[in-house]
Amino acid sequence: MIETIYVEKAIKNHPRTKLILEKFKKSRIISINKYGEIFNKRNQNFRIQKTNPCLILAYKKDSFVLPAPKGFGIGSSNNFYFSHMYNCIYDCRYCFLQGMYSSANYVVFVNFEDFDNAIKKTIKNNNGSKITFFSGYDCDSLALENVTGFAKHILSFFKTYSQIEIEFRTKSIQKEPFLSMKPMQNVILAYSLMPELMSNSLDNKAPSISKRIRVISELASKGWKIGLRFDPLIFGQNWKELYRELLENIFKNITPNNLHSVSFGSLRFPKKMFKNIFKLYPKEPLFTSPFSLNNKMISYDIEIEEEMTSFCKNLSLKYINEDQIFKCSI
Amino acid sequence: MNNLKIKKTSIRWVVALKEEAQIILEYFKLKAVDEKTIYPIYKNEEETHWLIISGIGRSNASASTAYLYLYSKASKCTSWINVGIVGSDKGNYGDLFLVDKISTDQGKKSTYPSTMPKTSLPKMHLYTSDIPITDYSTHELIDMEGSAFFDIASKLTSKEFICLIKVISDGPKNSIKEITKSKISNLIKDNLTKIIDVVSYYERLSEEEFQIKEKPKLFYDITSKWHFTATQSYKLETLLRRVEVFCNKRDLKEIIKSCETSNSVINVLNSKIKKNIVNWSKF
Ligand code: SF4
Repeated sequence: MIETIYVEKAIKNHPRTKLILEKFKKSRIISINKYGEIFNKRNQNFRIQKTNPCLILAYKKDSFVLPAPKGFGIGSSNNFYFSHMYNCIYDCRYCFLQGMYSSANYVVFVNFEDFDNAIKKTIKNNNGSKITFFSGYDCDSLALENVTGFAKHILSFFKTYSQIEIEFRTKSIQKEPFLSMKPMQNVILAYSLMPELMSNSLDNKAPSISKRIRVISELASKGWKIGLRFDPLIFGQNWKELYRELLENIFKNITPNNLHSVSFGSLRFPKKMFKNIFKLYPKEPLFTSPFSLNNKMISYDIEIEEEMTSFCKNLSLKYINEDQIFKCSI
Repeated sequence: MNNLKIKKTSIRWVVALKEEAQIILEYFKLKAVDEKTIYPIYKNEEETHWLIISGIGRSNASASTAYLYLYSKASKCTSWINVGIVGSDKGNYGDLFLVDKISTDQGKKSTYPSTMPKTSLPKMHLYTSDIPITDYSTHELIDMEGSAFFDIASKLTSKEFICLIKVISDGPKNSIKEITKSKISNLIKDNLTKIIDVVSYYERLSEEEFQIKEKPKLFYDITSKWHFTATQSYKLETLLRRVEVFCNKRDLKEIIKSCETSNSVINVLNSKIKKNIVNWSKF
């Protein structure tokens, strides 16, 4: 239940604003000028806000599509991302958003059509090269789909660009709009996964791993292309057994033809972000592991990272080809 | 942050009039502080609740909030409460409201206080004016201090720790001229249960935050035994927080006992972390 919704004055009559507000009849609506008045203020407590976040409906003015950071891709030469939303309804303890934003409130931009235009322009400017777009870099791309309807909107847009890939990265078990459509070959539904034991402690408020696997299996069987994102890889006692069990369980449950790609990424934080997150949750077991600082990034010691990545990669090679495996290194 | 002096529950009240404060002083057993102060200040014996009588108007509200902060050595974990009467034609005489938006006649941008979650108490917007207003039609709640209190308090702590509680005292049917001292006292008294309810939420919030921010107990033992530079102190504090999650205090004391220098304490803690492999089934 969202208790308070802030709405930018300029979009109070936008049809999508009205549609969203319809779903929250009991919420208190507060009119604001710019979302930054609420979202960008310093002196906010992310941890406390996270216990009861507000929704902010806003109009995005620029920077609709941005180049994805190096190391984020899955094989294309040009990678871009867009975020119709900032923040997430889940509360993963390793999430970089909690170290990046001062507010835990959700911002949803209602001017989806401006995203369409910016994507069109990006496609035109990169004519001839292989492009992948990523939805959900500053949020989970599907977690709030029943409120925003963004995935449904953008899917219909990408229907006309069947040669351009789009990846939805998520932990959500939201099956709509996918089940009600014919599978699209340029769409990758990419699920973040880790062993259930670790996820229970770290992926707060997110659907359990077993539920995620059930949905993955169902969508794959319908013909949707699946991406498996073991990112971040989490270190701990019995990690080899836990990851072996997880990987075997997943590969056993997915039609191999519909497995698009698998990627592995180690746990890592920019130094400043780590500091912010640690300040919020200093008693978290996640931060008791051996970390080291490399190139301004805090991550597990390099030996741990390498061992985990190569172990999981080797296991996956039993089920998929090497060219389907990627390393996520941002 | 002066941790040693912070009490676990930490509330600061800013109230314009003595009559508004009366029942709060009684309920929380607040007594005037011994020394002469610029604004009247009260505190309880445990020094967890402090209250200042600001007087009327924005300047008084700003100055007294800042003054109370310094005088009472409030911290980032302190919650700030402003209770007072307001004019309104949108509610009834005696109704209590929490404030979630504040605007002023200064042409400044509006501000947006957070309110306590999951409450059935109603919320309204507050307009802070420099002069008494009798045309109630264009605003929800009208007072003369709220915006200044919020502006200063939000520089002292996060906005989640600030709360404005307003009780309607005047409106088209209850002339501002008819407000008396005893009416004011009664208005707050009649809402005391709700006010206590709200404040207990802020007490909890402040205590939780204190527990997160509090330096590990061992930090003080260690720094009294070895000399640490500022950078080393920061390292020590971070390492102790991490190690304490999986290692108990007694074992920790034991392993650093034989250290000769501050550096060796840090090294010992570091190697403890290096060897730690999280047992996720425990968490
Ligand atoms: S699902 Fe992703 S975006 Fe959401 S909290 Fe977890 S890591 Fe962050």
